[in-house]
Amino acid sequence: MITVALVTGFALVLAGLYGALTNRNILRMIVSFTVADAGVNLVLVAVGAMPGRTAPILDAAVPVGDAARRIIDPLPQALVLTAIVIGLGVTALMLAYAYRLHATRGSLDISKFTELKW
Amino acid sequence: MTFDWMKIPYALLTLFIVLNYGLLLTALIQKIGARAGRRHGIPIWQNYVDLLKNYALRTHITHGVMYYLGPVFRLSGGVGLLLFVPSIYGSEMFSNLSFAGDLILALYFIFFGTLGMALGAGESGHPHAAIGVSRGLSQVTAAELPLALAVFSVALQYQTLSVTDIVAAQQGGVAHWTVVTNPLAVAAAMLSFLGSMMRPPFDVVLAPQEIPIGPPTEYHSSYLALMQTNRAIFPVAKMVIYMNLFFGGATSWPVFFVKVFLLYLFSAFVGVVFPRFRVEQSIRWFLIWAVPIGIAAILIV
Amino acid sequence: MVSPLHILAVGLGAAFFLGLLNHGARVLAYVVTVVALLAMTAIGGQWLWAFVVAGAAPVTIMTAGAPPPFAINLRMGLPEAVLVEIVTLVGLLSAVYMREALMRLGHRAMAVFLVVVMALSGLILTRDVFNLFVFFELIAIATGGLVLLSDDPRALGAGFKYLVVSQVVSMLMLIGIVFVYHASGSLNLDDMTGTPVAAAGGAAALAFFLLFVALVIELKPFPANGWALDVYQAAHPGFSAIFSAGSSTAALWALDKVIGIGGTPWLPIAAAVGLVTFVGSNLVALSQTDDRRLLGYSSVAQIGLVLTVIGLRDLLGDRYLMIGGGILIAHAVAKAGLFWISGLVASRELSAWAALRRDPFMIFAFATFVAMLAGLPPFPGFYAKWELVHALVADGRHAVVAAILVGALLEAGYLFRWFGRALKAPLPDETVQPPVGAVAVVALTALGGWAVAYGWGEASRYGNLLTVVPLMFALAFLVLEWLPAWIKNTVAILGLVAGFVVAYPHFDPMQMIFGAIILLGGAVIFIASYTFAHGRRVGFYPSAMLMYAGLAMLIVAKDTFSFFAAWEVLTVGSYFLILRGKESEPHALSYIVFSLGGAFAILAGFALAAQTTATFPVEGLKQVAATHAPWVFLLLAAGFMTKTAALGVHIWLPGAHAEAETDVSPMVSGVLLKAGLFGLFVLVMHLGRQSLFGVDLTHAMLWIGAGSALIGNLMAAFQEDAKRLLAYSSIGQMGYAVFGIALMNNLGWLMAMMFVINHYIYKSSLFLSVGGVAKRTGTREMYRMGGLITLMPLSFVAVLVSIIAMSGVPPLSGFGGRWIFYNAIMDSDARLPMAVIFLSGPIAFLYLFRLIHTIFLGQLKDEHRRVKEAPIWLIIPQMMYVAFLIGFAIFPGLALRRVDDFIGRFMPEHGLNWTGQTITSAYGYWNPVAIMIIVAVIFVVLFLWLVFLNHRAQMVKQFNIVFAAERPYRPETTHFAWNFFAPYKRAVGFLAEPWFERFWQAQMDTLHGTARFARRFYTGNGQVYAVQVIAFVVVVYLAALGGRP
Repeated sequence: MITVALVTGFALVLAGLYGALTNRNILRMIVSFTVADAGVNLVLVAVGAMPGRTAPILDAAVPVGDAARRIIDPLPQALVLTAIVIGLGVTALMLAYAYRLHATRGSLDISKFTELKW
Repeated sequence: MTFDWMKIPYALLTLFIVLNYGLLLTALIQKIGARAGRRHGIPIWQNYVDLLKNYALRTHITHGVMYYLGPVFRLSGGVGLLLFVPSIYGSEMFSNLSFAGDLILALYFIFFGTLGMALGAGESGHPHAAIGVSRGLSQVTAAELPLALAVFSVALQYQTLSVTDIVAAQQGGVAHWTVVTNPLAVAAAMLSFLGSMMRPPFDVVLAPQEIPIGPPTEYHSSYLALMQTNRAIFPVAKMVIYMNLFFGGATSWPVFFVKVFLLYLFSAFVGVVFPRFRVEQSIRWFLIWAVPIGIAAILIV
Repeated sequence: MVSPLHILAVGLGAAFFLGLLNHGARVLAYVVTVVALLAMTAIGGQWLWAFVVAGAAPVTIMTAGAPPPFAINLRMGLPEAVLVEIVTLVGLLSAVYMREALMRLGHRAMAVFLVVVMALSGLILTRDVFNLFVFFELIAIATGGLVLLSDDPRALGAGFKYLVVSQVVSMLMLIGIVFVYHASGSLNLDDMTGTPVAAAGGAAALAFFLLFVALVIELKPFPANGWALDVYQAAHPGFSAIFSAGSSTAALWALDKVIGIGGTPWLPIAAAVGLVTFVGSNLVALSQTDDRRLLGYSSVAQIGLVLTVIGLRDLLGDRYLMIGGGILIAHAVAKAGLFWISGLVASRELSAWAALRRDPFMIFAFATFVAMLAGLPPFPGFYAKWELVHALVADGRHAVVAAILVGALLEAGYLFRWFGRALKAPLPDETVQPPVGAVAVVALTALGGWAVAYGWGEASRYGNLLTVVPLMFALAFLVLEWLPAWIKNTVAILGLVAGFVVAYPHFDPMQMIFGAIILLGGAVIFIASYTFAHGRRVGFYPSAMLMYAGLAMLIVAKDTFSFFAAWEVLTVGSYFLILRGKESEPHALSYIVFSLGGAFAILAGFALAAQTTATFPVEGLKQVAATHAPWVFLLLAAGFMTKTAALGVHIWLPGAHAEAETDVSPMVSGVLLKAGLFGLFVLVMHLGRQSLFGVDLTHAMLWIGAGSALIGNLMAAFQEDAKRLLAYSSIGQMGYAVFGIALMNNLGWLMAMMFVINHYIYKSSLFLSVGGVAKRTGTREMYRMGGLITLMPLSFVAVLVSIIAMSGVPPLSGFGGRWIFYNAIMDSDARLPMAVIFLSGPIAFLYLFRLIHTIFLGQLKDEHRRVKEAPIWLIIPQMMYVAFLIGFAIFPGLALRRVDDFIGRFMPEHGLNWTGQTITSAYGYWNPVAIMIIVAVIFVVLFLWLVFLNHRAQMVKQFNIVFAAERPYRPETTHFAWNFFAPYKRAVGFLAEPWFERFWQAQMDTLHGTARFARRFYTGNGQVYAVQVIAFVVVVYLAALGGRP
């Protein structure tokens, strides 16, 4: 199960990167990056997964003394949550850029924005 | 410092002897050169006539201070050169003022007169004078080089820069002369000698026969007289150095006269045989033929 | 003490507060922003104070009431405090600087701005690896937002490219972090550093690699950095300052923290990437024409250098922070300052910086920043450069040293080219009235740079350069710039003389000669400067005094560090001085590049000699191990001979000396060249003869000296420009001096000393005379002059005496030099180079005669008939020189006797005998007094005789000459002057072909061609940049694999 998630995650990352690097349209690039981001998050979750354990909530079902053996590591999930939020922020900013670029330059083709070079 | 004041009259005596000898010698050599060309040539006393005439002439012309001083520089150079080198080996009387400095002083003092005269000629404003200086300086840089190398070779050979010591080392027969013991140096020096005597093939600097060119172009009357005086003294002074360094020096005046005459004759001999070089040709000639001999001389000694 | 946590809290809190404001309250928003930044700076500053002054111990700050690894912790130590202070200060100043832009964009922009500064501080402070990621992402997002602040429409594209790449980087980092966590079970850096995961190998190493490489890419490694360069170029300069000074600083510290997890195997990779970046970026920067992009390349390069230092930190040990910090701080201050200045310049080409000339203080700031970046004293980069090179050489990493020095030379090349252009390009028409706040920010930064220099000097173990008296005296002229020039000139003269009087009792005879030339000789040249003392003459006195300070420090330097520092000070002072000439820009550049190249050789030489000790007394050169000694000799000699303009590295001299101002030419020719000779003296005295691969290095020096003499003299003979003639003549004269030193015998050294004295006198005198003539006639072409003897008689006398002295004709002092020379070579076995130097001797007559003839003799030109004698202040020093030349000719013993004794301590055999008036050597003798008297008597007698014969001579008119019965009318056609030595040129002109100029030009062309070709790598396409980043990752991974079995 973990392996499947890991493989899927990496596949998504690669697919997303491939898409981001081959599509010239900025919007397609952004979408590709979100795919890749999802892949990364999947990998994170997969790495943190511990089969057969319970949620890291300390209540009557999981006494404190027993917790270290019975709950899963909560940290990767926290990381994933943070990463998702950040990913959202970056995606939003990129979309804002796409909007401004289209508004000022009338194009969404990344290969057209090469006036800064060398 | 104690100075032997008798050195002054002795030095003046040397000067007197050399002046007269020089006047006669240059006329004689000119005559020999003329005879070689099937011409009659000048009378032997011609230089005296010219000199007296020019000293007697009066002029109101000068082109400026340096022009005025040019002949003074020139003659000071000749007289100084003569007096800084001992004329007769072993004679206190004719050791002149050589206590002031050694061989190097003499070598560098050669340029004193040259430089002063060039400056005087420059102020005359005549382009031919400047052209003459340009040619002369260009040629002399190449022509002096073998001499400098030869002198250094000789100095290395005898491990001294003192002219007296060099002459002393050559006493005791022809076999001890530098020309035998260090033939390469002498060969280089003699080639250089040709370049400094203002005779063909290296006389384009003055071009004495056909066009008025060179530093004396604007000089006349008493100015020219001073220069002519120098023309009698300077070659002899220079040949004295050659004689002392390479040909055993002279222990008496007759030997002195003969050796200087033969040296002068050498340049006259070459002069009547060869046509004239342009300046760049003579520079190349010295660099290609004479300088390597000089270098060999300092390497082998 | 306020907890450093509050830096983050204040930043974040203020940013949130700004978000709540309504759109109209811009002033309030701006005030809040500035106050928040002030508070952050103050907290950082308080910690900095605590660590530096009070010596506090580093503290760890817990958050969320739990110890790590259960909660994030921060660490505040000295490095963190310094870096946080840099970041917050740059942020604060940038906020002031960008007031207009921030007010226009409103409170949201200000909030983003605060977030950047806060995130950068957090990046420095945090000890949690995931927290690092969060701060990086915050920085990326905020950067993306702030790039939009720019007025430049191209910034949009640049920002998007930046975001694309940061997406890729963040993926790498995130995956890396989670796997590192998986392997180590902690996100706390301190936990992970305890058990390096890379040691585990396999997947953990790969995980760490991803994290590591992501951090490296954040540092914009060459060549995977096109995205960052675009940001530098397009963003608002105020933000670029943060991006350059702040972001890179924080990211470097992050890498430093993380690299500990991987352990030592990763250090060489970091060093290699840094080195490639440093050299590559500096190379590509050569062909940049846009100021901000150039700064971008330079930033990237500097960060690469610090990355190298990080990679070498095992090697550097306890000096690591001092070295890395020195480079980083110099970079941060200078780069922020330069980006801020670029905002005050209207257009983007480099020559547009000429606009700064309207405000001399801006030029001062520009110079300060350039010097900081180039690692010149007294700035921190200088100390760092010294330490770094020494540490690397001690470890045998010669290739690394070579690469670093090459990169640094490239960087100095384009920086100084830019500076020169700013000083010399025509003033642009368009003017920007810079906001007062922005100017104040730049000014503060420049002064801050000096403050940092002072602080760094205090902290350094070599003593503070800024407290060295000569340097302080020179820098005081910066403060005195408002005074009229004649007062400053007087102060300068008095200062130099006082310096000599104070130092006199401590000099040994050799220092005495050099000290007299530098201090007293310098004062004499300053007399000539009264001619130009109109107005304030801004910039002249600080530059000149900097040079003199360096020279004065050089001759008394006790250890290698102060020697090298003095060397750099005099180099940079003379560069500014040379640059003042009207047409001198390319020549000043060539001078500084050659000089710095030479200085680097000296640095490497000292380092090689020092081995594990960082500095040692100059006398310690005696004890250098035999295995290193030849190489030390080679490096030091190369460095010193660059300064004496030895053949091969001489091409900078003619232009630099000829184009300099009238009173500067004697300074840089008469005085400055002696620094190289002093160095060579020190070298041969302490290191002696050395052989490399069977070649006696002093023998090689003989050849170089002889070649310089020949080519210098020959070139001088073919010049039409009087000052160029003198400049080439200096090459020849220095060749003689080098030859003398290389003879390695008593008299050779004495002859070199004689040249030191003589060359100072006659070359200074000639440069002043020729300068005066050029000033009056308005040209330096000799053939345009002529016949000036009657109009400028005193100048003529000075030239006449000088050329007689220089030519070596008795009775003047040059003859003494020749006489010693002949005696010296009698002692030597190196015959072949002697032949070359013999060849060059008579050539001096050619150019000397030409000099005096074509200027003063011959035909006067119509346009010069009303020319007056040179200004009195130029004449006075010349007359002093004339008197001295004659005096020195009669009594050479005054100066030389003591030097002879001194040299006798090193070379006891074959000295001179000074008893009585006759000076005797083992071979010959020389009586200067007698020569003078005899020549004078003969001359006077003959002169009186001529006067007796011909006392009625009158000056005739100019054209009254024997001219084939014609009267020439035009002085131009009658003055034989142009191409004066035409026959000579036909005979040996091939020797005067500019072979060396062509050689160096070819090197330059190759470098520029490579730069132009290499920069095409940056296509401008964001996707290409992303692909390059990925390719970079792969390459580094393969390299890392290759490095470890």
